[in-house]
Amino acid sequence: MAKRISVVVSQGPSKNPVKRKLEEDIVAGLLFENGIDVTVVPNLYDIKADGTGMLALKSINGNMIVCSWLFERAAHWVMDRNDISGHVGKVLLENDDDEEDEDQPEEDADESETKATVVSKREIPNRKIYCLDFKASTRADDFIKEVKRIQQENLVQVVSLGDVVGGGLVSNSAQQRFESPTNDTAITKDGTGIEPATVNRIENSEGRRWYPVIDYSRCTNCMECIDFCLFGVYGVDRIDTILVEQPDNCRKGCPACSRVCPENAIMFPQHKTPAIAGSAEGNASMKIDLSQLFGAPAEGKTADEIAAMERDEQLLAAGRDAVGMQGLERRHAVATADEPKDDLDQLLDQLDDFE
Amino acid sequence: MMGEFEAVFPVDRNYHRNHMWSQRQSSGTERFGFSAYAVRLLQDVYFLDWAIDAPCNITAGQEIGAIESKKAESSLYSAMSGSLVQFNENLMEDPSAINVDKYDAGWLFEMDDLSLTDDTQPLDVEGYLQLLVGVWEKTQRTIKGQMNE
Repeated sequence: MAKRISVVVSQGPSKNPVKRKLEEDIVAGLLFENGIDVTVVPNLYDIKADGTGMLALKSINGNMIVCSWLFERAAHWVMDRNDISGHVGKVLLENDDDEEDEDQPEEDADESETKATVVSKREIPNRKIYCLDFKASTRADDFIKEVKRIQQENLVQVVSLGDVVGGGLVSNSAQQRFESPTNDTAITKDGTGIEPATVNRIENSEGRRWYPVIDYSRCTNCMECIDFCLFGVYGVDRIDTILVEQPDNCRKGCPACSRVCPENAIMFPQHKTPAIAGSAEGNASMKIDLSQLFGAPAEGKTADEIAAMERDEQLLAAGRDAVGMQGLERRHAVATADEPKDDLDQLLDQLDDFE
Repeated sequence: MMGEFEAVFPVDRNYHRNHMWSQRQSSGTERFGFSAYAVRLLQDVYFLDWAIDAPCNITAGQEIGAIESKKAESSLYSAMSGSLVQFNENLMEDPSAINVDKYDAGWLFEMDDLSLTDDTQPLDVEGYLQLLVGVWEKTQRTIKGQMNE
């Protein structure tokens, strides 16, 4: 059976001409390939749950490749919150700095054994989602090559099944008809039976949004975020799992809750700091950050203090009273108790160092 | 100090430590924009994003938005405390006015009810030029430091 693969190109929200060109070059290049269905949608993060773009994505049942300007992790979990789920497909085209992850597979395995994450209790649909980050390369060819590699990887499974089932049992006349097809529905010469690519474009009619995205492979349901956010963004579902219930309550630009999550499971995909936007750890931005020259406050605060400051800014802007470190003091009290440092402290220290 | 680049700093307005200018408008509001120094550092502006909605109160040093350009990116902060009245909507579709006409059509936002503190006193052109000499070290460090990472 011919297997087509769906490629989604999620356009960036800015009018950056270089970014647009990369997206269009990739779409154009993919149209030359067989067996690929291309769907162009607006920025994944900004599409509303009931938006045309999201409906188009939900209609894709099999494996799919999603290219966007979001980090892989961010793209994966933005789709997951819209019920577009699947196993993480292995992508070989990565941001240069992501390679640092390769050295730490042992550590990650240990940590996931000690804390049960939300995703471990879920059933994931049996299909793969490959998330490609447009930031990984400036060359359209690199992306087209990676799409073809993934397509091959998926095709190989189909072909080998065919070999086992019907290989070697084709009659001579059938073989002749295969080699000299007599009508339009015939299998193409490369033997895969796949027709040319199609493209479906969904235009951008969305405004820009701002809301947290939970990485459920890290989330342990500790409820710190619900306790911290005073704008009602978080809630729980019927089985008491945390979810982002009122995304549009989130105060635009505020990343405070991501700083208090002990597992670093909260992402704000459009935030300028890669760690908050969902990058693999160790990723550095390609552009110079001029914030220190353009008025950024002096450095040297802990993550919790920065979070409290940001939260107060939002409370005041909304006409409410500032609360300072309220709700966070007990975390500090627990931390400074006469106990040996545990993973939580170390993680917060690491976060402080990183920032 | 800025190498070959000849920068223009009109005397009909004030300047701030975060490299923005401010000018009282006939309507009574104070208009803010980027100085030539800021624009030189940014080069071609691609995208401007405000993190808050007008009108609202803001404090000096508050992060109010972000900017992305060909070579750089940055958070944007308010130079003063007061009431943010409106943003320059023309920039949202096409921020290139910042490069082309930074002191006029490329204005960023307007405020009123400004409160002054020692930290947020606006500078005149002379004062700003002196500041530029003083921050050159920091500017070089910021840029070179990141390039070496």
